[in-house]
Amino acid sequence: MLKIEKLVAGYGKVQVLHEITIEVPKGKLVTLIGSNGAGKTTTLRAISGMIEPSSGSITLNGTSIAGLPSHEITRLGLAHSPEGRRVFPTLSVTDNLLLGAFPRLTGKRPKGEVEKDMQRMFELFPRLQERREQLAGTLSGGEQQMLAMARALMLNPEVLLLDEPSMGLAPKLVEEVFATIARLKQASITMLLVEQFAAAALDVADFGYVLENGRLAGSGPAAQLKNDPAVRAAYLGAAH
Amino acid sequence: MQNFLQILVSGISVGMIYGVIAFGYQLTFATSKTLNFGQGEALTLGALVGFSVVTALIGMGASPLLAYLLSLPLVLAFGLAQGSAVEWLGVRQAMKTKSEAGWIMSTIALGIIFKNMAENIWGKDPLKFPSPLPENPISLGGVNIRPMEIAIVLGALAMMLAVELFNRRSIYGKAVVATSNDRDAAGLMGINTSLVITFSYALSSLSAALAGVLVAPVTLTGAQMGAALGLKAFAVAIIGGLSSGLGVVVGGLILGITESLTGFYVDTGYKDVPGLILLLLVLSFKPAGLFGKTAIKKV
Ligand SMILES: Nc1ncnc2c1ncn2[C@@H]1O[C@H](COP(=O)(O)OP(=O)(O)OP(=O)(O)O)[C@@H](O)[C@H]1O
Ligand SMILES: [Mg+2]
Repeated sequence: MLKIEKLVAGYGKVQVLHEITIEVPKGKLVTLIGSNGAGKTTTLRAISGMIEPSSGSITLNGTSIAGLPSHEITRLGLAHSPEGRRVFPTLSVTDNLLLGAFPRLTGKRPKGEVEKDMQRMFELFPRLQERREQLAGTLSGGEQQMLAMARALMLNPEVLLLDEPSMGLAPKLVEEVFATIARLKQASITMLLVEQFAAAALDVADFGYVLENGRLAGSGPAAQLKNDPAVRAAYLGAAH
Repeated sequence: MQNFLQILVSGISVGMIYGVIAFGYQLTFATSKTLNFGQGEALTLGALVGFSVVTALIGMGASPLLAYLLSLPLVLAFGLAQGSAVEWLGVRQAMKTKSEAGWIMSTIALGIIFKNMAENIWGKDPLKFPSPLPENPISLGGVNIRPMEIAIVLGALAMMLAVELFNRRSIYGKAVVATSNDRDAAGLMGINTSLVITFSYALSSLSAALAGVLVAPVTLTGAQMGAALGLKAFAVAIIGGLSSGLGVVVGGLILGITESLTGFYVDTGYKDVPGLILLLLVLSFKPAGLFGKTAIKKV
């Protein structure tokens, strides 16, 4: 489904990622863990075209997407819920969701039933339904996070990239977010998840990759990584 | 009192012209944080293209009103094309290299080129644009209003309303708003944001071209006509705030009315002064404009 090989990327002259190789198989949930500044967000940005990779290959369903502008990558079916939510503050919740379906509404992707999908998002996130006419900028942080996820799902994506969907949320909401991710996984949505809560991410994921200073430091089935002493010491803390 | 109302009326129609041009500045500022400093020349070209089409149609036997109406789609299409060209030639490259001043220099330079082109094609002498409506004023409650002044107000409002509706109702309009909110996030929605910016330049020049053909019948038409209007509309955009559609209408009216009041009660020679004083006051005390939220950066 999504294959990243020897990806090198960074900002300006600063190289952040050093030959990263990640594979996200169809219908699987893969998580990318690592400390602050390890390069997780940079990896997702390079995949979705927010920054241009300097070398390496990225393929989506066999199509090379490395170096394409982000709108073209989105139109090929890759959705990215970016770090920091990035909802459109002056637009309503409904309009934000409609924009998530922009390629479907403008003939760049199969249309399907946008209205019905919007209803499904409201079932998944009832809080958004109550606030459907509210401007996204006036939502609470947790509500914005749900909106960002729902907006990405409105693409009906082949692959969904999630960058810290639980960032800044109260513990109860974090649980909710993980429950939602588990539900998406049951619906066989292919996902690449970046999370600060490494333990919870490995619990829900099929495979995991560990990123350290822009280099891959380990990878494997999630359950196996979770029991790896080095991973436990570095990322899972005393809690596990 | 009668005098005052009379002055108010002429101030309003001039003010709406400023408002439409300033609205054009806002359109590109919203999506790209850049402005077309050749906006006045976009107005000039719109008016002159309109002049040629209208006189040609009248030569073919059309009435001035019919000729004017038929010319509008052409003038607006010309505005779209001219604005796209400005973005392509002057802005895109400067934005790619993240050059802060590049787009300022290049849009000013393109403005000068357009003005020279206008002088070469239409000459340096002002032309008389055939008025589509009767030039004799009609009397409303003792106040004399020229029909064209009413057309200016209606045309300006229609233009701004149309853009507002487009932004609110259509998915493409929402894509424009999304690009103004957060360009990277809009790209992630599958929106081609460079195209959105080209489009906002096209629409910005369309506003100026429309302002040109609206004002042309009540003023002298020629290569010089846009320079002062573009500059004053820039003041209006600053006064009204670069992010508020209502702001530019109010800002335009404030400037138009103070100008005609000064022109009447003080001296026509001083009629440009109050607007500039207002501009300086706004810039020192409320740099985001009277109604705006975003201050213009490093310009
Ligand atoms: N826009 C940028 N310009 C320059 N350097 C950047 C930029 N964004 C990130 N970096 C640098 O790239 C490196 C990796 O950052 P990245 O955001 O990918 O980390 P992360 O793994 O997502 O961290 P976190 O868990 O804190 O979100 C860091 O050293 C950071 O300082
Ligand atoms: Mg990050």
